[in-house]
Order: sequence, then C-alpha cells, then structure tokens
Amino acid sequence: MIGSASAEGGGQASGRANARRPPAIVFEDVSKFYGEVLGVNRVTLDIPPGITSLVGPNGAGKTTLMNLMTGLIFPDHGRILMRGISPRDPEALMRITGYATQYDTAPRWATGFTFITTGLLLFGYGRSEAETRAWTALERVSLTEAATRKVASYSKGMRQRVRLAQAIAHDPDLLVLDEPLNGLDPLVRAETIEIFRSLAAQGKHVIISSHVLQEVDLISDQVVLIANGRIVAEGKIRDVRDEIQEHPSQYIVRCRDRNASGVAAQLFRESHITEIKLHDDRLGMLVSTRDREQFARALGQIALDGHRIESVVPADENVDALYEYLIGGES
Amino acid sequence: MPRTLGTRARQAWTIAKIELRRAFFARRSLWVYALALLPAAIFFGHGLDAKLRRDRLARRGVISAALMDSVREGDTPDEVMARLGQPVGDDTYTRSKRVRQRAATAGATTHVIEPAVEARFVRLNVTRPSYSGEPVARIYEFEVYGPGGNVNLALRRPATGSQPCSPDQGPEKAVNGSVNGGEADRWCANGYPLFLQVDLGAARPVTRFVLKHASAGGEKEDSDTRDFNIQLSTDGKTFTTVASSNGAGFVDQRTEYRDLSYFDGQREADLRFVDGKLQRANRQRVLDFEEDRAIFAGIFQYFYVRLAVFFGCLGIFMNLFRAEMSNRTLHFWLLAPARREVLLAGKYAAGLIASSAIFGGGTLLALAAMLWPHDAVEVQAYWNAGGMSQVFWYAAVAAFGCVGYGSVFLAVGLYFRNPIVPAAVLLAWEGVNGVLPQALQRMSILYYLQSLCPVPAPIPGDAPALIRVLAAPAAPASGPAAMVGIMLLTAFVLWIAALAVQRMQISYGAET
Repeated sequence: MIGSASAEGGGQASGRANARRPPAIVFEDVSKFYGEVLGVNRVTLDIPPGITSLVGPNGAGKTTLMNLMTGLIFPDHGRILMRGISPRDPEALMRITGYATQYDTAPRWATGFTFITTGLLLFGYGRSEAETRAWTALERVSLTEAATRKVASYSKGMRQRVRLAQAIAHDPDLLVLDEPLNGLDPLVRAETIEIFRSLAAQGKHVIISSHVLQEVDLISDQVVLIANGRIVAEGKIRDVRDEIQEHPSQYIVRCRDRNASGVAAQLFRESHITEIKLHDDRLGMLVSTRDREQFARALGQIALDGHRIESVVPADENVDALYEYLIGGES
Repeated sequence: MPRTLGTRARQAWTIAKIELRRAFFARRSLWVYALALLPAAIFFGHGLDAKLRRDRLARRGVISAALMDSVREGDTPDEVMARLGQPVGDDTYTRSKRVRQRAATAGATTHVIEPAVEARFVRLNVTRPSYSGEPVARIYEFEVYGPGGNVNLALRRPATGSQPCSPDQGPEKAVNGSVNGGEADRWCANGYPLFLQVDLGAARPVTRFVLKHASAGGEKEDSDTRDFNIQLSTDGKTFTTVASSNGAGFVDQRTEYRDLSYFDGQREADLRFVDGKLQRANRQRVLDFEEDRAIFAGIFQYFYVRLAVFFGCLGIFMNLFRAEMSNRTLHFWLLAPARREVLLAGKYAAGLIASSAIFGGGTLLALAAMLWPHDAVEVQAYWNAGGMSQVFWYAAVAAFGCVGYGSVFLAVGLYFRNPIVPAAVLLAWEGVNGVLPQALQRMSILYYLQSLCPVPAPIPGDAPALIRVLAAPAAPASGPAAMVGIMLLTAFVLWIAALAVQRMQISYGAET
C-alpha cells in the first residue's frame, strides 16, 4: 500500500477525530471476502469532506467499498465509521446518507415523482413535505418535465438522474454515488458536477466512483485508486499522480550465468536505479527504478556487453497495470 | 426523529402502506386469488344448480310430504301412481346379464348314442376347454359304457393325448377310475389340438360316455370343459363324430327396473322398482342445509386451511424479500433510515393485511355463497343458533392461518432461494400433524387452526385408512390457548426471520 493517510488528515491515523477536525469517513483495516473471492483487502482510509473519487478498473472493488460504507454489506474484518456512525446502525446512518446504486429500484408503476416521494415517506416526512422535497430534488437534477412519467420509460441518463435525485432528496451529509456520470450527456454532466461541487462546498462528503481517471480528476478533491481490492494510492489528485509517476517500478532480473553481481554493478552506475537486492543464488536480483524507459535502455546495453540475461519480469504488476490503465494515454 | 417505539411503529406502518400494493397485486401472485375464491365459486355453482333443479321439479308437480312418505316396499308402480299421481320423473329400463345355468350333475356330463356303435378307439376333442377362457383342458375321468352295461370299458385302458401340463397329469389319469385325488388325479393339457384318446383293446359296441370335468374334482365350475366332441374309430385312423357338446349353460337374466321421482317442495323421492316391486325409496332434500354446512366444514378444513391459505401465504410472503432480491431492488429498503427489524415488521404487516383480506374475504364469500340458496327461515334459525359466531370464527381461522403461515414463509423467503423444498417439508409436517406426539403437534400452525375451527371437519366413514390418519384432527386446545399458542409460535418464527434480516447483505450475484 502506498498511500497511508490523506494530506489533510496529517499524522492522524486513527478515525477518532478531535473536536476541531471535520467528520470523516474512516476505514480501519477493512477486509471483505465473497466466499473464496476477495472483495476488498485490508483497506484503511480516512476521507475528509469534499468530493472523493474512487477510481479503478471494473471489478476493482469500488462498489464493494460503497456497499460497505452504506451497510448493504458488512466487513469480515475491520471497522468502519461514517462521520462517526457505524454502518450497522442504518437508522442513524441512512438519515444522513444518500446512496445512488447502479440498480434501479423504482417499481413498474412508479413515476419519478411518486418514487422519490415514497422514499421520503420512509424518512418520516409528512406527505406534503415529502412531495415538496421530491419536487425540489427533481428540479435540481433538471428532471421536472419527466417527473410524471413512469421511471420504467426513462432513458439511461434520466434513470441516472432520478437515482441522484432520490439520493439527495433528504439533503444528506454523505452522498455515495456509483458511477454517477456514466451515460450522461455533456450538458447534464456539467450540471451534475455543479451539484457535487455545491454539496462539497457545504462541508458534505460526496463519494463518486469511476473507472476513468480523466473523467473525475478535475472535479475531485481527493482520489482513491483501487486495484484488485487494494488501495493503491489515496490523496489529493496531484499527489496521487506524482506518487504513481515517481513510484519506483520493481523488476526481477534473472541472468543465465552466475554473474548477477556484475550486472548489478553495471546497473548501479545508472542514476535512475534506486535499489538492487541480489538473490542468494547469485542468478537473480530485484531492481527498483524510477524510470522504466532508461532502465530498458540500460538493460539493452548490458546485453550488448555480453551478459546473458534470461528474463525481466515486473515485480509489482498491480501498480504497473494501473499506471498503464489510468495514465498510459498521457505519458 | 427520536428513536422511540412509537416512531419505529409509525415507520413500520409507512413501509407496510408502501408494500401493500406489492402484497395485493404482485403480478406473479395473482393465482392466490384463484385459490382464495375457489370455495366461493364451488358453493355458488352448487347453489345455482340446486335452485334451478328445484324450480324445474316444482314446475312438474308437487305432492304432499305425507303422501311421499306413504310408499312402502313391495308397492307396484301402478299402486304408487294411483295414490301419488303423475311422477316428475319416470324412467324404465332393463338390465340383462349372461349367467351360467347351473348343472345339477356335479361337474359330470353324460352323452348317449343310439344305437350303439362298434368301436375300438374313443377320442375326446376339446375345442373350448373352459368357461373362464383359460386354454387348459381338465378331465378327471372319461368313462365309456356298452349297451346295458355298467362296466366302464375305458377303465385302465391305454390312453394317449395332448402334451400334459405336467408329467403327473397325463392321459392315464382320466381312465384311472377316481376323481378325488386332486390335481394329480386329472388329465390336464394345454397344447393344441387338445384331445384324449382311449384304446378299448378290441372293437366293442359303445353307447354311453360320462365325462367328469374340473368341478367334479373340486375345482371351480368356470374351469369345466365348455365345447367338445366325441369321435369313434375301429382302426385308429378314420374317426367319426358321434356326440358333441357346445357347453351351452348360459342364459340371459333380465331384470326390469323402473324409477319414479316425486317432489314435495323440499325433498325429491327416488323410487326404484325392481321387477314391478318397490325395492328402495330414497328421499333426499334438493338443498340440504345441514349437509351443505358439513361440506363447508370439510372444504374449509381440508382444502382452505391446509392448502389454499398455505400456498397463498407462500405466494404472498415469499415475494416480500425473495422477489426483491431477484429484482435487485431490495437495497431500496436497506437504504432507508430504519432498523432491519422495522423493515421486517412493515413487510410482514403488509403481507398480513393482504393475505387476511384475501383469505378472510374468500371465507366470507364462500359462506355467503353457501347460505344464499337456502330457505330464509332456515338461515334465520342458523343465525339465532350461533351462526354469526361460526361465521366470525371461520374468517378468524383464515386470518390466523395467514398470521402463522405468513411468518413461516417470510422466514423461509429469507433463508431459502427456492421455496419448493421447504414448502414440501412444511406441507408434510403440517399434514402428519394429527399423528404426532402432543409436544410436536404444538409446533405446527394447523394444530391451532383446527382447535379454532367452529365445526369439526367431517370424515367420511368409508375413507381409506391412510386418508383417515392424515385427516385426523390433532388433540384440540381451548380457544384462547390456541390463539395464544399461534401468537407465540408466530413470534418465535418472526424472531428467527429477524436474525436473518439483520445479517442480510445485498448480493445480487457477481458483484465487486
């Protein structure tokens, strides 16, 4: 794990905030298994208010993290506190939480308006207040024109927006949105992002997920990178980008004859090499480099010098793959 | 909102109100209505049929009850019609059946030829070996006599014949002079052509043959030889038929039947005359209130409570959680600011309201359909004799059934994906309820429901033993005890369901 705590969190590793500290989303060493399959593994997070993006490839564990936050699933290990409330207490947590999942929940007879109103009744609002709030929420997502049509007839983008409206209708402090920008046209996307920004400005948590970094990096206050159920990096978007780029890549280099120490000596002359660990069998070594391309060039030179190199394998595939996946287009 | 019992109850009620629509009108549960309304449809059909029948009979003529009761066994149709007048129904018919004429000869037949014929070889050909159709010839003794003689010329003469059924039942057994030795004392053959031939040693005049068939040896009369002939020959090559029997022995037995019907305004009398004499007078009410109430009690207990309410609750309550899991909509509820138990209570309340309304209403409709065709005076007497309380308790039992089975199927829906196996196990458990020990009886819903039923279900006296065992009611508890018992059992089942709903996690399949 690379990131430990957000920049704003400073040295505080624990979720127990002092009085001045804004309420945070805290994961302490949280793991969740689906039978044999790993959902998320040993996740520790400390997310301050603002817009936070969970970014990672499909299947990385973004939805699992969100389901853990909202108590739809429970961790097998570890502790979660959402602004000081356990997800095991939905009566308290869901009052301040809105979660827009990727699934539609509207029954077939419901219109957008009745669907959101029905949801609000569960919060204990009277019918008139529920209807006022439902209408306000639909206005915020610009869905008033379709409000009296059945949700079943909505387009993908309209469903996306009605789920958002449902999530914000009770004015939650904590908004969790699974791929909220997916399927939105550019105009609506801009409006939606504006909603996120205004909520974040009020000191609320807005957690959104995406599998495209470029989609969210401009609007996020924090980014959490996830791959294979692990947090790869966490923090301000600039820090995460630098961290990924400067994160030393590790390779396992294996030589054919017992001259690994000779190869190591030659590699050490390169400035981008930060660390070399020789294996006991004197055939292999673990090399850390800050610059993949220079490392590749150096290896070519060594081969030309007569050393026989059997294989070069990246030691840390997760980060490498993620790097290629997220930033590959830019570098 | 403060966390008090009151606010939670209001929240549960809100959930129930939202869920009512699903409970009443879930598209995949509409068959529940068919189950609930079936008894009403049956009684309505029966009532309509009886009413129409009564009107039809009344149009044809009504006699006084006293006249109808005056017919006696042995009356002739003419006597009855002279006294009672024209019947509303008159039907004459004849039944005939072929019966075998009994021979008084104890299985022996005698065949005489006049005049006597000179012969050395006597041959019996069997063409239809039995009355029963069994293709096996059985002859215990074959005797041949000369003119005026009492000496059996065939006795212990060499005999041949078709392949015997077994080695000890060969042709020689038909000429051994005895019939009392059981099957080993007969000639038995089943290989066609069936024949038995005796060599008298030299040509002699013969005039009389005696055949002793199966019944002469103690077997069934049906096994006696039916069609056969007797042939004679002097050289063993050329045979002449001298006697034959086509078995006959069958006659048509005809019986004259006449059915007259009379109607006295309430009862229909079916008078059956056999060969001109009244044999049976069956007087039955076209609409029998007592009988209909007993039928209602039977349908209610054996069909409604045991099957309709059971499967109806399966349809309604299994849907509440299980259908939302397969539709991927369950998280809508889990994301509401409510405790999981409150959600459970709300959904249970919705299912209970829907199922009680459907099955309580179905019970009341069926009762109304049962009462409708009956005479107002009789119905009034029924009301005065506690009918109202019976109606109330019938509806209450249906509702209590929903309370109990509803909780069970709510829990089943939380623990099992497929309802078929648990439903089958539960149905079997409830079915054998009557034969379980007392302690285990208390663990089934049916035990309490049977205790609350206002009228014990009738068991027909001629029902098979297995049905009687399965339909046997459990040892009844008192009314209040039964109500408390069903409530405790329901609370226990709901507690188990609450354990599941607290642990429940959203898992819509492959999800990361």
